[in-house]
Amino acid sequence: MILKTPEKFTRQFGKAESKGYQSPEVWSKVTGKAVYGIDLTLPGMLHGKILRSPFPHARIKQVDTRAAEALPGVRAVLTGAELENRPFGIAVEDELPLAADKVRYIGDEVAAVAAVDLQTAERAIKAIKVEYEELPAVYDPVEALKDEAPLLHDNFPGNIAWQREVERGSLSAAFTEADLVVEERFTVPAIHPAYLEPIACIAVNDPYTGITLHTALQSPDAVREIVARVLKYPLSKVNINGPVMGGGFGGRVYGNLKVYILSALLAIKSGSPVKIQLTREEEFTAGRPMIAAVIKMKMAVRSDGTILGREADIITDNGAYSAQAPWVSKTLSERNDSVYRIPAIKTRVRLAYTNKVPTGQYRAYGNQAANFATESLIDIAAKKLDLDPLELRLKNCVREGDTTVHGLQIGKCGLAECLQAAAKEIGWDRKKAGRGYGLSAAIHANGSLVFDKNFRGASALVRLELDGRITIFTGEQDYGQGTHAAFAQIAARALDVSPVQVTVESKQTKTAPFSTGALAMRQTTVGGKAIQLAAEDLREKIFKAAAELVGEPVAMENEVLRSISGQELELAEVAYHYHSATSGLRMTGEGKFVPAESDYDESGYGNISLTYSFASHAVEAEIDQATGELIIHRLVAVHDSGRIVNHLTARGQVYGGAAQGFGMSCFEGYLFDQGRVANASLADYKIPTALDLPQIDPLFIEIEDPAGPYGSKGLGEIVMVPVLGAVANAAADAAGVHVTDLPLTAEKIYQALAGWECEL
Amino acid sequence: MTEKLVINFTVNGEKEEKEVIIGQTLLKFIRDELHLTGTKEGCEIGECGACVVLLDGKPVNSCLILGVELDGKDLITIEGLSKNGELDRVQKAFIDHAAFQCGYCTPGMILAARALLDRKPNPTDEDINEALSGNLCRCGAYQEIREAVKASAEKK
Repeated sequence: MILKTPEKFTRQFGKAESKGYQSPEVWSKVTGKAVYGIDLTLPGMLHGKILRSPFPHARIKQVDTRAAEALPGVRAVLTGAELENRPFGIAVEDELPLAADKVRYIGDEVAAVAAVDLQTAERAIKAIKVEYEELPAVYDPVEALKDEAPLLHDNFPGNIAWQREVERGSLSAAFTEADLVVEERFTVPAIHPAYLEPIACIAVNDPYTGITLHTALQSPDAVREIVARVLKYPLSKVNINGPVMGGGFGGRVYGNLKVYILSALLAIKSGSPVKIQLTREEEFTAGRPMIAAVIKMKMAVRSDGTILGREADIITDNGAYSAQAPWVSKTLSERNDSVYRIPAIKTRVRLAYTNKVPTGQYRAYGNQAANFATESLIDIAAKKLDLDPLELRLKNCVREGDTTVHGLQIGKCGLAECLQAAAKEIGWDRKKAGRGYGLSAAIHANGSLVFDKNFRGASALVRLELDGRITIFTGEQDYGQGTHAAFAQIAARALDVSPVQVTVESKQTKTAPFSTGALAMRQTTVGGKAIQLAAEDLREKIFKAAAELVGEPVAMENEVLRSISGQELELAEVAYHYHSATSGLRMTGEGKFVPAESDYDESGYGNISLTYSFASHAVEAEIDQATGELIIHRLVAVHDSGRIVNHLTARGQVYGGAAQGFGMSCFEGYLFDQGRVANASLADYKIPTALDLPQIDPLFIEIEDPAGPYGSKGLGEIVMVPVLGAVANAAADAAGVHVTDLPLTAEKIYQALAGWECEL
Repeated sequence: MTEKLVINFTVNGEKEEKEVIIGQTLLKFIRDELHLTGTKEGCEIGECGACVVLLDGKPVNSCLILGVELDGKDLITIEGLSKNGELDRVQKAFIDHAAFQCGYCTPGMILAARALLDRKPNPTDEDINEALSGNLCRCGAYQEIREAVKASAEKK
């Protein structure tokens, strides 16, 4: 019997007003049918659990697993002693799958077990006896760089995981010429992406297909390569299948490599599929938050507001292992230099090992942390010079055709328009008494030409199915941002079909084209361009095959394929014609988008991205003078992300980025007590609720940028960047004093109001 | 070793009799024994709201309740909200207003909204914020969620 499709279901996705199109995946999300990583189980699956160090720094003297192995139901026990002692890493090779001789933070992985159920696995973990010899530890990144500090890694002297010094232009001349020099020290805590679904992974080992990891990742191809390298498996014998992802925000670009590697090793050792799922506490204590930073910054300004130069000395807190922290530190230390025309720059950044949770990345890659510092400093200068902060920004902001101090080539740029619109909309010229107003500006790259010089672009396949529908094969990931809806719209536009005819496949590394992944705000611009090219290639193939079929030229108009004499053709007919003519192939368009090589040199000077997105945010706030509480009334978020592909999902990105920016500005951040995470739960690490957010008004300055598909550019990361500076400046305007230590809690603002000199 | 108890209850309109492990949370019981994985696990300590279900019509964090407490009660999970392929109007409004991104908080959020509307058919913004303040959405879709809840109220 053929079931009738309830009319409502088909109708919902039938409306394809392109600006508000949504993927059919939304249906599974409101009905509870979407299958996330934590929902998966497999026949014969075991449950894995990790034994973690209770000490911040200790030598492992002995690990006794006999009692654990003897427990009924335990199928595999793994320790560092039985693994090859060869470090791996993302930016720096400093991690082992399991600690062999030494643990470096409370939470460090010491042993792992697989058992028939979770309770048995937990009992087995408790039955493992580890003898430790405690070592002196260091928790403060500034202290860690001192000569007398305990050393975490023997091969990283001075506890420096990575460092960089760069000078461009003449800084001494800038400071000599300056009428005003402003200087401040800013601190930013570690921030967890706090995706709501904890990381989970099922590893399956099969003699024929190799290792399959069922886990949701933003960059499955990148993780696949690392896992293959660590396991010493051929690349084609490691595959990743992505279930639906419960939030990423940068935290699942590489996710938690230990979880993937240990579940794979346990699957190999036990011979059964093994699932490891982190608890929320493990997410906080052994996850990969974004680095904390101490930013000392000095800026030289002329009395008319011209910025002459800027010097920064930055120390970032790596925790015990590096993940992507070197790259985040680099972006944090230099991206903000390209928001304004700054002729001279000198920056030193040092990434320090400490005996704390290792760090990774978060939406915007540190650009938002630096925005807090740079934009605060601009307002401090404006106040001292008695200049309007808007005018000072407009005087200095980058414009189309500029090459910035680090060599970024500014193409289409609506930054000045964003600033003007944000100020106008917040009421800059009619400020209300008792309220504070703050502005900020931002730039963010659209993919990287230099991160991996061999993969500057993206590729895609677009296939005509036998029923006339279209399938896109891409390595670009969608976990709710709307990327795949945008891709369907882009392909639909190129082919002149309805987006509802287009399906997007991306979840299996085995079949998807390679991609560097959902990072660096690259997917819409770079990935979308590849989709456009692939769809255009398919369109030409359709025309060719259709012309063969009817014996005269054809064209597509208003979603109808028609020959010049007026004969209408179904896409399915063309598909079938090609299929039979080739004995079984399906017509496939190829899209290869390979941007030109960058002039990027060894000093890191050069154009790093295909194009750049811009934004300015404005905030209206108030301070409760009695308590110091910061009350934010409104945020206006103005973005130049080129032509907006989908306004519905674009607005969603702005709301979400603003919410995360507010959290980071006002109350989020790791707290530590002697290396132990003191707020390792969502009860203590607060993220914004429905009650915490002000009115958020997104506005788009739609300047078509030929670099991206149909004039569009990236949005998903830059949405968070300017929130920090705008909130800080509005708070300072209302309080009359800048609090330079994030988050801006009532306590700190109260102390600043009271004029207390207090290091918090 | 693990003691079990037989309980009788209604789940999504169907009568059930099942054994439940004493000490197992309702969340684990729903996910592992009833195989209704639409109810999500986010923190296990009642802080995130991803596991909200309706128990006798009231929204509860199923991670804070024991499975045995289901005895004699009526349970609605997200799987039971749409009937005969017809989405509940809150579900429909969540789609229309793009009131989610990753969708992980969505089942709990929709059930909490449903309970609010049953109690208060025309809620204000403050009512909605208050009623949903125990449901975290890291994607930050609160503005669209508010719009969706109001739209489903107005349709009544």
